[in-house]
Amino acid sequence: MRRSYIRPFCIIWLALAAAVAQATLAQAAPALIDDSGTLPYNATLAMRWPSGPPRGPAARQLTGTLQLRVRLNVAPWLKRRGRIYMVLPAQQPGAMHASWTTQGRLLPGELDAGSRALVYVGPILSPVIEDVVQLTVTVDGRRLSQSYPVNFHFEMDEG
Amino acid sequence: MLLACGAAGYGGAAPAYTVNLTPAAPKTLFLAVGVGSFSVGIYNSGGKPANNATVNVVSVSVPAAAVGSGAVQTMTTNSTQSNSFLDNYPFCNAPGELYVGAFYRTTGQGNGGPSGATLIATVPATLLNAAGDPIPFSQISWTSRGNGDLGAEPFPAGSFTAGGSQTLGSVSRDQWAESCWSFSYGNTVVPAAGTFTGRVTYTISAP
Repeated sequence: MRRSYIRPFCIIWLALAAAVAQATLAQAAPALIDDSGTLPYNATLAMRWPSGPPRGPAARQLTGTLQLRVRLNVAPWLKRRGRIYMVLPAQQPGAMHASWTTQGRLLPGELDAGSRALVYVGPILSPVIEDVVQLTVTVDGRRLSQSYPVNFHFEMDEG
Repeated sequence: MLLACGAAGYGGAAPAYTVNLTPAAPKTLFLAVGVGSFSVGIYNSGGKPANNATVNVVSVSVPAAAVGSGAVQTMTTNSTQSNSFLDNYPFCNAPGELYVGAFYRTTGQGNGGPSGATLIATVPATLLNAAGDPIPFSQISWTSRGNGDLGAEPFPAGSFTAGGSQTLGSVSRDQWAESCWSFSYGNTVVPAAGTFTGRVTYTISAP
């Protein structure tokens, strides 16, 4: 009696654990989106001190802005629902902040290096999502001792 | 099947979108105490620092009845520089305040490298009148602020150290630093009559 009770419990528990692990894996490994159509690629952001108040410590921040035509190839997720994130991985020159405005196809937002921000949620109804994004990057000037390439990417969470 | 789906997600994709953060100016060290000059307009409109030989005066006339009373006397400047050379923002309120602005742009030093420039004042021991009577320079002090300012001043409040060099503040690499100084005369000594003058020289240096 005792043995017949424990076995089903163990099997159910293991099955639940497997399901949880699979769900966790699915969330931990979002799919990279092909953004190779985004222009201009490898563009330069001339970093400057911002104008106007506030002053003081803010005057150590350098900021640069750039208009991008973001083009995301989402064909692999056509006719499915998804959440698209812009990702700014942790990288040189260290702490950075990015913010952006859009023309409505994608969501405006902001994020710090080492994080991601939602830019789209809903059904994927066309193979390509495009928008014009005004991207602004802010970094502590003390870190900007040279030019640094900064990588962004977009990733998809399904469902 | 899972692997095939994963490959579809990555297939042919650019690994990342890249932008290049680039400091906008070559190595530059700039200081303006009082009036200064830019070649064209201001920094954020593309202007470049230029030399300005003007020596501004900060002064006060102490009423005879108040001489040596300890009643602090507010000084004013003949500088007309109130606006920032960064963006023409009205940062100071001349003639009550003296604009002190500096910036330091440099490249080629990694994080943790030499970090900044230093502002130093060379101060005579005394102000002197025509007869050579003295007033210690330590009688002069200043407060520091700026319109719209947040946080600590890069060039904080202090008083002159008579007869020597003193550090007045520092400018981090790639920092625009500016403060507005309001000078006061301590008025705790009773000097001979006359007009007393002295010149403080400000120097900024970087590694």
